[in-house]
Amino acid sequence: MKKISIDKVLSNTTRTLVVIGTILFALFPIYWALTMSFKPADEWAPSTVHWWPWSPTINNYLPLFFSRETLIDWGTIIGWQMAFPETAVKAITNSLVLGIGGTTLAMFIGTTAAYAMSRYRAGGNVMPYMFLTFRMLPPIAIMIPVVVWFSTLRFMDTHHGMMLLYGLFPVPFVIWLMKSFFDEIPKEIDEAALIDGCSPASTFVKVVLPLVRAGLAVTALFIFIINWSELMVALTLTSRNAVTIPVQIGLYSTDAGFLYGVMAALGMIAIIPTLVFGLAIQRYLVRGFTFGAVKG
Amino acid sequence: MIIPIQLVMNFTAMIPFALTWYVGMTNWIPQLTPFFWEAEFVGLANFLKIPGDDLFIGSIARTLLIVGLCVPIEFLLGFSQAYVLSGDFRGRQFIRVIAIVPMMMVPIVTGYVFYLMFIPAGPLSSIINFFTGGTQPIQFLADPNLALMAIMLADIWQWTPFMFLIFISSILALPQDPINASYVLGASRGYTFRRVMLPMLRTPIMIALILRTIECFKIFDVPYIMTQGGPGYSTFTIQMHLYESGFKYLQYGYTNAQSLLIFITMIIVGWYASKPLRAP
Repeated sequence: MKKISIDKVLSNTTRTLVVIGTILFALFPIYWALTMSFKPADEWAPSTVHWWPWSPTINNYLPLFFSRETLIDWGTIIGWQMAFPETAVKAITNSLVLGIGGTTLAMFIGTTAAYAMSRYRAGGNVMPYMFLTFRMLPPIAIMIPVVVWFSTLRFMDTHHGMMLLYGLFPVPFVIWLMKSFFDEIPKEIDEAALIDGCSPASTFVKVVLPLVRAGLAVTALFIFIINWSELMVALTLTSRNAVTIPVQIGLYSTDAGFLYGVMAALGMIAIIPTLVFGLAIQRYLVRGFTFGAVKG
Repeated sequence: MIIPIQLVMNFTAMIPFALTWYVGMTNWIPQLTPFFWEAEFVGLANFLKIPGDDLFIGSIARTLLIVGLCVPIEFLLGFSQAYVLSGDFRGRQFIRVIAIVPMMMVPIVTGYVFYLMFIPAGPLSSIINFFTGGTQPIQFLADPNLALMAIMLADIWQWTPFMFLIFISSILALPQDPINASYVLGASRGYTFRRVMLPMLRTPIMIALILRTIECFKIFDVPYIMTQGGPGYSTFTIQMHLYESGFKYLQYGYTNAQSLLIFITMIIVGWYASKPLRAP
């Protein structure tokens, strides 16, 4: 009995240390970005370190949501805000539309393919690997032909064009992650459903998908984050109509200087949807959900 | 069920890919000849130029160093975090979300925030001086080695959560019967971990390592913002090299040839690296 209690104390101490380490390591840069977003311009990169905003302000957030005209009407406009006639609302909406649309498309294509590859060995050993190789091509190499091809189709700077790419580029991720989750589900479960008269399609939808819902949730979060923060494709293909948050953040590094506070402010706004998503999938992260599904 | 992906893949990937090969064999520079089919076809000349290109070789070696250090560190941190935090304790849901927050930050913002943290008047310089008793602000981004370290720290900070999330979902999804059986039969924690849990986690570990290696090889946003490759070329990665040669010097033909060479090398290396995964 004594040995177990020492074990327990040790593991509790380790856990406490890991928890503290995680919080410090993960949150310090977030803290720095958050305080940065409330600092006025002269505190962004001061000559001595400012651990917190000495004179906090919401000026960094105002140009994200209110146009130049509104701010002039209010009479609260300050120097650098004059350079931004438009708000970031359009970029935020675009990012949401493209992020959700692209993620849904990628999840649909990728999950069906992963199931076929896991259960029916579609494409043999080579095809899953072939899809992975699409991620190995340097993005710049795929972008040059995509630019050529998109301008031919008049897809440049459109939502449907961007959504197509955002639904395609992360597909190898979906396939490989989902395939590993499908592989963990014993084949006997599918076979039992088939014997009981389920069609292959309804076996997939009604029996197997609910079993991998944790995997689905985690994969969808990944894909959403990948699409949400994607920069190079958006930078190359969008100019006015379909700009996304990362492109919009780039706009705040002007010739006159880097508006670190505004970038941090938009970065903080951009964390909110992913944070909500992350909190929402928490309830799927539970221990051993296939427990008792197969006997013997 | 394989049909939807076949259609989309052929349409969106195969056509550009064929174009990439063709352009890689021309000396297309869009200012001179606006359309790629007007460019002169030079065959393999672009590929033969690569071995003598010092900038290319140097940035490849540097990127391999970054990948070789970052991915194992991210793996060890993410895995041990996931193992420890997979237990049942109060506040577990909260701490698991905290652990994946870094991944949620848009990389371009990460770049600027880490830049501001590493400037001489930034917080990290103060913290280190506080512990070492130094008085001079540390010029992280002006020193070649420290700048490379700063880049890697930013990458580790941002992408350890990727490993963590894959591993925690896999660890939590493990069937509990074999683990409990092992404890009941008197095996120690360490033995159960090594002999029962690790073999069952082989696939997720391989997949996480492979995906992360591929992505880390494409490291671009953060070093581009933090150091622009400097000081000198000490943080100049291969993607920055391709970006500059493509979109700054507009040598589309040569850039494509370099990309294809990297691509083919990675395919061959990856084929052997992923061998354990393909065994039925």
